[in-house]
Amino acid sequence: MAVEAQVPYQEAIDVHHPHSWLARYWFSQDHKVIAIQYGITAIGVGLVALVLSGMMRLQLGFPDSFDFIDPEAYYQFITMHGMIMVIYLLTALLLGGFGNYLVPLMCGARDMVFPFVNMISYHVYFVSVLILLASYFVPGGPTGAGWTLYPPQAILTGTPGVDWGILTMLVSLAVFIVAFTMGGLNYVTTILQARTRGMSLMRMPLSIWGIFMATVLGLLAFPALFVSAVMMILDKTIGTSFFMPAISSLGEQLDYSGGSPLLFQHLFWFFGHPEVYIVALPAFGIVSDLISTHARKNIFGYRMMVWAIVAIGVLSFIVWAHHMYVSGMHPYFGFFFATTTLIIAVPTAIKVYNWTLTLLRANIHMTVPMLFSIAFVITFVVGGLTGLFLGNVIVDVPLSDTYFVVAHFHMVMGVSPILVIFGAIYHWYPKMTGKMLDDRIGQLHFWITFLGTYAIYYPMHYLGFVGVPRRYFANGEMAIIDESVILLNQGITIAALIVGVAQILFIWNLIYSYYRGRDSGPNPWKATTLEWQTPETPPRHGNWESRLPTVYRWAYDYSVPGAKDDFIPQSEPSAGEREGAPLA
Amino acid sequence: MIVAIMLLVIVIGSLVFNFLSPWWFTEIASNWGGIDFAVFVTFWICGVAFVLIGLFMVYTTWKYRRREGLTAVYEPENKRLEWILTIVTTIGVVGMLAPGLWVWDAYVNVPPQARDVEIVGQQWSWSYRLPGEDGYLGAVDARRISVDNPFGMDPDDPRGQDDVLIERAALHLPIDRPVKVLLRSKDVLHDFYVPEFRAKMDAVPGMITYMWFTPTRVGTYEVLCAELCGIGHHTMRGTVVVDTAEDYDAWLKTQATFAQISARPEGDPVAGQIAYAVCAACHGPAGEGMLAFNAPKLSGQDPWYLRHQILAYRQGLRGVHEQDTYGKEMAPMVLPLIDDAAVENVIAYIGTLPDDPAPQTVEGDIHRGASLYGGCTVCHGSEGGGSYGTFAPRVAGMTDWYLVRQLRNFREGIRGSHRMDNLGKQMGLMSRQLGDDEAINDVVAYINTMSTRMTRTAMHHTIDDRGETDGG
Amino acid sequence: MAEATSTQRLQLVEDWAADVAVFRGVPWGKAMMWIFLLSDTFIFSCFLTSYMTVRMTSAEAWPNPSEVFALEAFGVPVPLLLIAIMTFILISSSGTMAMAVNMGYRRKRVGAALLMVVTALFGASFVGMQAFEWYKLIVEEGVRPWGNPMGAAQFGSCFFMITGFHGLHVSAGVVYLLIVAYRVWRGRYEEKGYDIVEITGLYWHFVDLVWVFIFAFFYLW
Repeated sequence: MAVEAQVPYQEAIDVHHPHSWLARYWFSQDHKVIAIQYGITAIGVGLVALVLSGMMRLQLGFPDSFDFIDPEAYYQFITMHGMIMVIYLLTALLLGGFGNYLVPLMCGARDMVFPFVNMISYHVYFVSVLILLASYFVPGGPTGAGWTLYPPQAILTGTPGVDWGILTMLVSLAVFIVAFTMGGLNYVTTILQARTRGMSLMRMPLSIWGIFMATVLGLLAFPALFVSAVMMILDKTIGTSFFMPAISSLGEQLDYSGGSPLLFQHLFWFFGHPEVYIVALPAFGIVSDLISTHARKNIFGYRMMVWAIVAIGVLSFIVWAHHMYVSGMHPYFGFFFATTTLIIAVPTAIKVYNWTLTLLRANIHMTVPMLFSIAFVITFVVGGLTGLFLGNVIVDVPLSDTYFVVAHFHMVMGVSPILVIFGAIYHWYPKMTGKMLDDRIGQLHFWITFLGTYAIYYPMHYLGFVGVPRRYFANGEMAIIDESVILLNQGITIAALIVGVAQILFIWNLIYSYYRGRDSGPNPWKATTLEWQTPETPPRHGNWESRLPTVYRWAYDYSVPGAKDDFIPQSEPSAGEREGAPLA
Repeated sequence: MIVAIMLLVIVIGSLVFNFLSPWWFTEIASNWGGIDFAVFVTFWICGVAFVLIGLFMVYTTWKYRRREGLTAVYEPENKRLEWILTIVTTIGVVGMLAPGLWVWDAYVNVPPQARDVEIVGQQWSWSYRLPGEDGYLGAVDARRISVDNPFGMDPDDPRGQDDVLIERAALHLPIDRPVKVLLRSKDVLHDFYVPEFRAKMDAVPGMITYMWFTPTRVGTYEVLCAELCGIGHHTMRGTVVVDTAEDYDAWLKTQATFAQISARPEGDPVAGQIAYAVCAACHGPAGEGMLAFNAPKLSGQDPWYLRHQILAYRQGLRGVHEQDTYGKEMAPMVLPLIDDAAVENVIAYIGTLPDDPAPQTVEGDIHRGASLYGGCTVCHGSEGGGSYGTFAPRVAGMTDWYLVRQLRNFREGIRGSHRMDNLGKQMGLMSRQLGDDEAINDVVAYINTMSTRMTRTAMHHTIDDRGETDGG
Repeated sequence: MAEATSTQRLQLVEDWAADVAVFRGVPWGKAMMWIFLLSDTFIFSCFLTSYMTVRMTSAEAWPNPSEVFALEAFGVPVPLLLIAIMTFILISSSGTMAMAVNMGYRRKRVGAALLMVVTALFGASFVGMQAFEWYKLIVEEGVRPWGNPMGAAQFGSCFFMITGFHGLHVSAGVVYLLIVAYRVWRGRYEEKGYDIVEITGLYWHFVDLVWVFIFAFFYLW
């Protein structure tokens, strides 16, 4: 079904042509505006989480020095930091932000298939963020149950925010899931049904593959979180016992009986593990495009890359219990989940090889997006390899719930995707605004962020080897801790504060370049994919002229022998003998 | 070029850091050398992979950085290379997984000769139960848990009568004998974690989990909680002592069984009155406390707390720090209480003394104190009545100058410094919230406001009362 | 033979890899509804799996469904009477929905709208009976989400949560049906075509299908 048949071009432009400020920037149905709305909201709330992490590090590096950080506040910091970063920043920014911006442009569509639903998706997301932030203004403050919200602890006295905070958190999550579903249905349907002529699945840029698979994972994984949130709200408010066995809490017998705390953990991680890939897969996809573009070389092993994304997505649904090796579930599950988890390492490793092999015999332009991409690969290698420790069931036993885990997941799903996001913003900002981001500020921001995060998290693994448990407000005198560990913690805190403050450079760059940046032109990076071939920059509502572009080749025709330039846009017809991509 | 250099610095720096690092696993004290071996294998396979990929990136970013006349090679794929890499990776993965699963198989299959030990987690302390001579642990039920029956034992189960109950004290284990650890929790998730044993397992309310190990090194080890369990998570410490067989047997003889604890006679206040004569000299005839002798008020204090402190003095857990002048004075004073019966008698007598609120001597900012007291509420209660569940003594209506002094001692590590005194260590960690003496005065001033509000019922807020009020 | 299957397989690959649309001729709305229902399937699967886990691990006895859900008819308790009627109604409504879709594609808009209204009425009566069942359980038998006189507390919590969630789906479906029926009647889809009726139908059949599972797991187990 041709795209024009469903949204006649003129009608689309006339009906949706916005006039007032509110209609243009708030009630816009343009996927690009919605993407930027998602982006700004996510970065804003992410900055809150960044400040929270700074306060946590202050406490860990210099315990007993800050009056305003008591155990209650500390556990609230870790919970809000974790939840915001994983859900409200990474998921929202990668899918709501980049998904929205790139999917129609890269697929050659005029917009998402249902722009109105798309708009509502953002508004609902915004509401979920407001509910989340409201946690800080309800009696008792936000919940301090840790981002995993394990019951019974999450809803019992002895945990901060047990009266209101846990409810605002759960409600906010449920609302977020509604928002995500509305957006996600749009992305998937657009990718499946609304690509332009010639854009076969095997010609799609890997960014779209990553976003597509991540969205599918989200649509199938978030239900588990939704269900567990509903059940926990019922346990908390009307006293059902889904997750609550007979309990004597702080010397007091409670009315619960017969529930299973492990049920929650299974539901949570059935969501939680795919969630890791919901964050990682778009990053994998985007970084592949960044590396290829800035190395002026086709991505190595495109077909393998696609199948690796698909394989990782599928496998991610059968590895969840590797988060639960010491949870008390039946120990024989350990054999199964360790095996599936280590199998997932193979497609992941292939992706890493292919990124590095793309650099081989390339012509690497050390632009800021390329710097971030290289930093991503090395950071991801460390994070991925330490994942093999934790996935290998018996090795996980001494390391689980220590700082090794903290270091691992920050490397693999904190810093890595964030590096890609930075790279992607430096890469696509010219398309979004028509201005280049400042290169020198970008370089400075890159080096501080990359080296700083490495200095935070690489040594942190060794705290885990020592055995320092995570989620401790203060270690105090602990048999396994000596002076050197305290010193290490102080060093990590200083690195973390430097990295945190350095992000001002990035925000400054975004604002400064918007007004004073160099004009970028339509295709500053000489990239092949469709979004760089739009008639206008930034693209207008409707993206294309009266005819949609036609795609003649895959997305990676860089440095093709005999070609005029070192890149051939996807929409450029071929001379004849090279009709279509080698892989179509 | 700078990129290649920095990547090289990162690879070499990581290696140097690793080899110079003083941070590594503690010396192992159990049979789980296999775990260390699996970590070792994983570490080296991953380490080699990291270095190879890192150096490869150094090479590519160096050799193929943008230069005049350099063009990239068009190379969509290389099936052979991709297959080789896939196979090599698979071999590496199998190399890690195989030893891992092999050790895991040993980890989950408990040898038949292993002896049971039950570990009970609660917010925020560890208790233990040994099966006694019959080798069986008696039946328990979470619904029976109360002040008088903290383990929730079924009094009618004959197999439980000889169970040894160790409440909030150190667990001793004999060396070289495998133990099967059965874990349960009264309230939320906990995780029994002794770094030196390597083994670790969650305690989950509503179910019993297990793991096993064999202690292989005599010594005293700290137990940590490794699963977030509320605001006191970091203070949930315990002690495991690995003994030689003889020491273990000697220790076991001193431990009370469930039957012995149940049969323990109530204290006799009349007999206690005679023994109290010694105490009266400092603590006052009515147990009202005397500042001149630095002796706190005893009347109205929870009996379990008095018992615990007398025993702490007697066992040398308290009153041993050199700066703890008054503690050192008190330590020899408990010696006349020669046996448990004498202790019970004197506690019973103190229970009969009139409980008049102590005079208020401390002044401070009540508003600031109220906000500081927020963190104390969970254990000591919003009205300062104390709670057996968290083993927190009553603070409202007690001698305020004594609270100030003890808070200072806790904060400075003068009290709660003994490595076996886990409850003292707990309070020590919590007291560090009170940054300076002013904060201590403020919080105590706030506590003083409670004593005026206090009623008799609030003071003796036992579990049974609460059960009724909440259940009804 | 072998050749035929290999061309079939190629066909599948080609379909999926096709440019423009993976599912040729499928309107966007329909594709989106299918994907939504797939996601919703996961929600109900999680609910039902949780229910089964809770029921299997429950230490207390589970109330006997044929007694709890019995209804007095002519002085005799008939097990599952009400549920049988409810199930029958819901399945009938799927039938009228299918007829509405058919009418829609034959462009008989009044007929389609009427049949959709009939479907919605069936749905509404289902919700009404469910309300009656809840009333009976709560008021007459003393079942509460946090406990009941017959046994395991989780019986009430699972029952109210899952049937309630399904009831919400049915109620939303009734509203959705009425809106679409009104628009069909007004002739709003004359130009665009009547795919919308089928899309609404997909949702409605899904809700029915879920009920079959709930019926099987709650009332027959």
